[in-house]
Amino acid sequence: MSRRLARDGQGSLVIDVRGPRFGAAITSLVLGTALVVQGPLGLALVAWQWLAFAIATFAGLAWSPYGNVFRLVKRRFDLGPPPATETEGPPRFAQACGFAVASVALVLLLSGLTVAGWSAVGVVLALSVLLATTGVCVGCELYLVGQRLRASGGRG
Amino acid sequence: MDPMVLRALAVAVGVVVLTLIGRWWQARDGRVRPGEDHDALRRDDLDALGLDLRGASAGAVLLGSPTCTPCGQVKRVLADLATKRDGFRWVYADAADHLGLAEQHRVMRVPTLFVVDASGRILARSSGVPDVDDLERVLDGDRCDGLAA
Repeated sequence: MSRRLARDGQGSLVIDVRGPRFGAAITSLVLGTALVVQGPLGLALVAWQWLAFAIATFAGLAWSPYGNVFRLVKRRFDLGPPPATETEGPPRFAQACGFAVASVALVLLLSGLTVAGWSAVGVVLALSVLLATTGVCVGCELYLVGQRLRASGGRG
Repeated sequence: MDPMVLRALAVAVGVVVLTLIGRWWQARDGRVRPGEDHDALRRDDLDALGLDLRGASAGAVLLGSPTCTPCGQVKRVLADLATKRDGFRWVYADAADHLGLAEQHRVMRVPTLFVVDASGRILARSSGVPDVDDLERVLDGDRCDGLAA
């Protein structure tokens, strides 16, 4: 499956820019439903979303469940060629961030700290809603703050 | 009321509020602002960034990060400008490698773009994805017209 995907000059995977936003819309739907119903079904939905983040993070976006749904939808409804493409690095990093927070949420929920757990789910939901509806890059706002903290920490 | 209905309402309100915040943020994003007087990138900064302006008409410095999606969009805008305009040169640099420069010019976020003339004076700057027409206006020399808004 991944062999047919486009790659750039450096060999990194190139994806349709609409893909991550489509994926974020599904993520929002899954986590929004989970947050509303909670209980065992809500927990199962969070676990599924955690798995989807894990696949995209560790196997790459070529294997991302929602990315593949997007490709099917694209073909079925003839959405046309990508308006632009991007390398998978930044969106894959976003999936890794989602994976990290979803892991925390899952651990909290499984250890019975439900309020904290669902709050963490809410954070992931908020970030994916922002990406799905506006495409705002939250990591971009935090990057320099993080780098400055790291630099000042490195100096002692 | 059923707690599930309450939670559904809370999620719906949250989605609307976040979308409005995102829209507002995007409206500010990418605005091309004229550079302040005497604001310039120093020669040693330009050397460190790898931008050689000798013989160029104008240049641009893009500060980004490896995980930033809009940085790719800005790079496309700059590559487009460079093919259309002889003598326009640009470089991309990871903001983390130029923290001193970022601090000196109050760069708060990536992608931040500086458009400079051949002497390194900052003609304009933007954070986010700028409009290619706005940048063309800057390069055409009308620094303030249409940019003040």
